Amino acid sequence: MSRSPDSKPPRGAGVTRRTFLVGAGVAAGGALGAAPATGLASTRAKQAAEDDLLRLDGPFVVSFRLNGKEVRLPAEPRTTLLSLLRHAADPPLTGTKEGCDRGSCGACTVLLDGQPVYACLTLAGNLFGCEVTTVEGLGTPEELSTVQEAFWKHDALMCGFCTPGFVVAVTACLNENPAAGAEEIRSACAGNICRCGTYPQIVAAALAAGARMQEGRR
Amino acid sequence: MSERASERARGAEALTWGDPAARTFAGQDSPRVDGPLKVTGRARYTHDVRLPGMLYGAILPCPYPKARPALDLAPARALAGVVAAIELDESRDGGWTTYLGQPIAAVAAKTPELAADAIRAIGVEYELGDWCADRAQALAEGAEPVSSSGNAFVEDAQGDRAAVEAALAACDAVVEATYTMPVQVHACMETHGAVVDYRGGDEAIVYASTQGTNSVPGPAARALGLAAGKVTAIVEHMGGGFGSKLRFGVAGLAACRLAREAGAPVHLMLDRSDEFLCTGNRSGSHQVLKGGATADGKLQALLSTVQNLGGIGRGSHPGHPFIYEPAVSFHQPGYVLTHTDAAVPMRAPGHPQASFAIESMMDELANALRLDPLEFRKQNVSSEVYRRQLDRAAREIGWAEHPNRRGPPAPSVRPEKAVGIGFGLARWGGGGRPGARVTVRIASDGSVTASAGSQDLGTGTRTYLAGIVAEELGLPLAAVEARLGDSRYGPAGASGGSTTTPSLAPAVKDAARRARDAFFAHLAPILGTRAERLRARDGAILAAEDGAKRLGWREACATLAAGEIAVTGEFQAELADSGTHGAQAAKVEVDTLTGEVRVLKMVAVQDCGLAVNTLAARSQIQGGMIGALSYGLLEERVIDPWLGLAMNASFVDYKVAGIKDVAELVAILDDDPRERVIGIGEPPAIPGHAAIANAIFNACGARVRDLPLTPDKVLTALAALG
Repeated sequence: MSRSPDSKPPRGAGVTRRTFLVGAGVAAGGALGAAPATGLASTRAKQAAEDDLLRLDGPFVVSFRLNGKEVRLPAEPRTTLLSLLRHAADPPLTGTKEGCDRGSCGACTVLLDGQPVYACLTLAGNLFGCEVTTVEGLGTPEELSTVQEAFWKHDALMCGFCTPGFVVAVTACLNENPAAGAEEIRSACAGNICRCGTYPQIVAAALAAGARMQEGRR
Repeated sequence: MSERASERARGAEALTWGDPAARTFAGQDSPRVDGPLKVTGRARYTHDVRLPGMLYGAILPCPYPKARPALDLAPARALAGVVAAIELDESRDGGWTTYLGQPIAAVAAKTPELAADAIRAIGVEYELGDWCADRAQALAEGAEPVSSSGNAFVEDAQGDRAAVEAALAACDAVVEATYTMPVQVHACMETHGAVVDYRGGDEAIVYASTQGTNSVPGPAARALGLAAGKVTAIVEHMGGGFGSKLRFGVAGLAACRLAREAGAPVHLMLDRSDEFLCTGNRSGSHQVLKGGATADGKLQALLSTVQNLGGIGRGSHPGHPFIYEPAVSFHQPGYVLTHTDAAVPMRAPGHPQASFAIESMMDELANALRLDPLEFRKQNVSSEVYRRQLDRAAREIGWAEHPNRRGPPAPSVRPEKAVGIGFGLARWGGGGRPGARVTVRIASDGSVTASAGSQDLGTGTRTYLAGIVAEELGLPLAAVEARLGDSRYGPAGASGGSTTTPSLAPAVKDAARRARDAFFAHLAPILGTRAERLRARDGAILAAEDGAKRLGWREACATLAAGEIAVTGEFQAELADSGTHGAQAAKVEVDTLTGEVRVLKMVAVQDCGLAVNTLAARSQIQGGMIGALSYGLLEERVIDPWLGLAMNASFVDYKVAGIKDVAELVAILDDDPRERVIGIGEPPAIPGHAAIANAIFNACGARVRDLPLTPDKVLTALAALG
C-alpha cells in the first residue's frame, strides 16, 4: 500500500520529478484545496516535494496498481485518473462515473491507497506506485461486497448513476470504522450528490453493512 | 382488441391483479433486478458506451442571452486529432441566438481532452443584441421583444371576477400576496447526450440518455439524413431525467450531425456546465393571489393571476384554485418570455409552483383568522381521502403535541431555535394509456424473457417487467429476464407524467397471462387434464384436482421442442386507474439569529392505487420529498441580467440537497382500496417545499413568499416583525 519513493518514472518520458509537481500544483492546486477527499494526495505531494520531483511535459506512461493488477497506461500531464479509467484502461472501467469533472458531485469517487478521492481531481502523474480501487474492484454482480449487497437490499439506488461513488465512499468509511453511526456516514458521503433522492436508504444501507462487517470481525 | 375481448367473453377469467394473499410480487417489497449491476458499476449507461473508432463530441454554448456569433472554426479543425467542427445555426433567427446557452458549434475529436481543446480553439466574435434575461427586463418599457408578439402573454381566464370581488368584500379575512419562484434545473446526474453509431451507409444505432426510447429514431434519422425506420435506439440504463429527457434534444442532434460529417461514431455527452444551460428547466413563477375566508373557516373566494417564467417557452401551471375549493374563484393564467432556455416538464410540471402559492396563502388565511391550519385545510377540501391523509401526517409529525397550533409565538417569547410544523397537499392525474406492447417468451430450455420498448429511469420498470411475469408463471423473480430500452422491442410511450407504470404494467400482466394460457393449452393434453384446471405455482405446473399431474418448470418447457411460446400483450384499462392524493408535513428548526433552516423531519402520506413494488414506490416518495426540500431551501438558477451571464452553472455554485440536508423522512403508502395501478413519480414532489415554508412561519412568524427559503430572507421577514 505504501508509495515507494523510488517508483520508477516512465522510461524516455524526459521526466524529472521536481518540475512536474510544481506544474501540477499550478494546474490542480485550487482543485486539490477544494476537495476534502484529497487530503492524502496533498500530503503525498508535499512529501514527494521534499524528496526528488518529477517533470512531465508530454505524453508519458503511468504505472500503478488498479484493482489489484499492475497497469501501464498512456497519459498526458493533464490526464485525470477519471479519464484514465474511463478511456485509457483496457477494457475501459466505466463504473466510475463522470458527473461533473470538477470535483463537485462525487460520482467518480475511488479509493487511492485506501482513501476516498475524486478521480476527476487526481492527476495521472500522481499515481506512480499507487494502489487504485474502483467500484469494479469491490465486488461483482455475482459476488457483491457487503456494502454493495446492503445498497441493493435497501434500495439505496434509483437511476444508479451516483451509486458507484456512494458505494466507494461508504466502503472507505466502514473500512475505517465499521461502527460508524449515521452522522459519521453522512459526513463520509457529504461530497456526493444523488439527484433521485436516495439519501435515507444510503444511510440505512451503510448502517446495515457496518453491522455485518462488525459481526465478521468478531 | 376485439379478438381478445371475445376470448375473455368465452369464459377466460377476468384480468385482475389477483388475490393479494396469493401474490408473490405485486404490492410487495422487491429489490431491483438491476441492483447488482448498478452497485458494482457494471450497468452500462449511454455515457459508458465505447465503440471502435468512436470520436468524442462537445458543444460550444453561446454565453449571452442574445447575440450574433461570427465563428472561425479553422483553428479547431487545424488541431491534430480533431475530425469535425461544425456550426450549429438551424434554430437561429437571422443569425441571432434566442437564448442564453444555445449551442452554436460542435466538434468531434479522438479524445474528450482534444474535443475540449477544439472548443477552446474556436474563434468567436459576438455581436451583442439587446436582451431580456429576467421578468423585470422583459416587462420594462421598450423591452427587446423575445417573440414577434412581444413578451407578456395573457391566456383565457376562468371564473367570474365580479362574483369573486363581491365575495371577498364579505369575508372576515382577506390575504393578498405575491409568491415567486426562481427557475430550477433538473441537474440529472448523467448529463444529456447520445452516442451515435454511424459509419456512413444507410443505418445507425443511437444510444441515448432518454426518457423515451421510441422518441429517438425519428429525429435521429432526420438529423442523419437516413430513412425513417433505419435508426435503432438503445437505452440500457439512464442516469436520471425528471422530465428533461423526453425529447431527443440539442446534444443528441449535434451528435448525429457530427457523426454524419465525420462518417464515424460520435459520443457526445454534455459537460456539467452546458447541462445547466441548454437542457431545459422548471419554469419560474410569479403568482398574485387574493383569497378570502369567513370566521367559520370556509374559503370563500380566490383571485389569482399567474405568470410562468419559462424562458423562450411557456412554462407550466395547473391553474388555481389548486386542490382547495373556494365557493367562487377567478384565475388569470399567462406567461412572460425571456431570452433564456425554454422550460420543459419537470417532475409534476407546474404543480410545485401552484402548491407553494396556494399552501402559503391558505396558511396566511388560517393565521389571520387564528385557526388551526390543519383544520382549515381539512375544511376546504372535498375529498375524504385528503382529510384522512392529513390526519395521518399530523399524527406522524406530532401536531397534537405541538404548542404552535394556533400560530407562531410572539417575538418577545420566541426561542432562539424555533421549531415549527407545516403542511401541504398533492394532487396528480397520471394514469395509463394504450400504445405499449410487451412480449413474453417461454423457451424450451426453461428461460423466460419479457421485453418492451420502454425504459427504466430508476423507477424500477425493469423489476416489475420481470416480477409481474414471474408471479403469473409461478417462478422466482430471478427466473425471468427483463429486456428494456431498445426500439426494436416495440412501441412504448415516453416516461413522463407518472404514466409509465399504469401504461406498461397492465400490458405486462396481459402478456404474462396470455403466455401462461398458451402454455397451459399446450400442457393440458400432456398432463391429461383441461387447461383451465392447470395452475402455475412454486416453479411447477400442476392440475388443481390432482397434485400428481405435475411437471417441474424445466420439464414442462422441455415439451416445447417444437418451439417457444411467444405472445404479445397490450394495455388493459381494467388494471389501471388515475388520480392520486397526498399529504405532507414538515418539521423545521429555525435559528432566529442566523436565519438558517434545518428540516428535522418530513412525512408523506401518498396513495397510488396498487403499488407494483412497494420498496421502489417508497423510494419514489422519498426522492420526491428530497427534491422538494432542495427546491424549497437551496435551488435557484442565477443569471446576471445586465452582463447576461450565467452565474451558477455548476454544482459548486448551484446548490442541490446533499445527504446532510436530509434528516428523518417518513414515506407512507396510504391504504388505497383501488386494486389498480397508478403512477407515483410526480405527486410526492409537489408539496414538500410549501410545507417547509409554512413550518418556518409556524416556528417563528417569518413568512417568506419567495423561493428558495434562504437565511437572508428569513432574517428579513423576522426583522419586519420587530
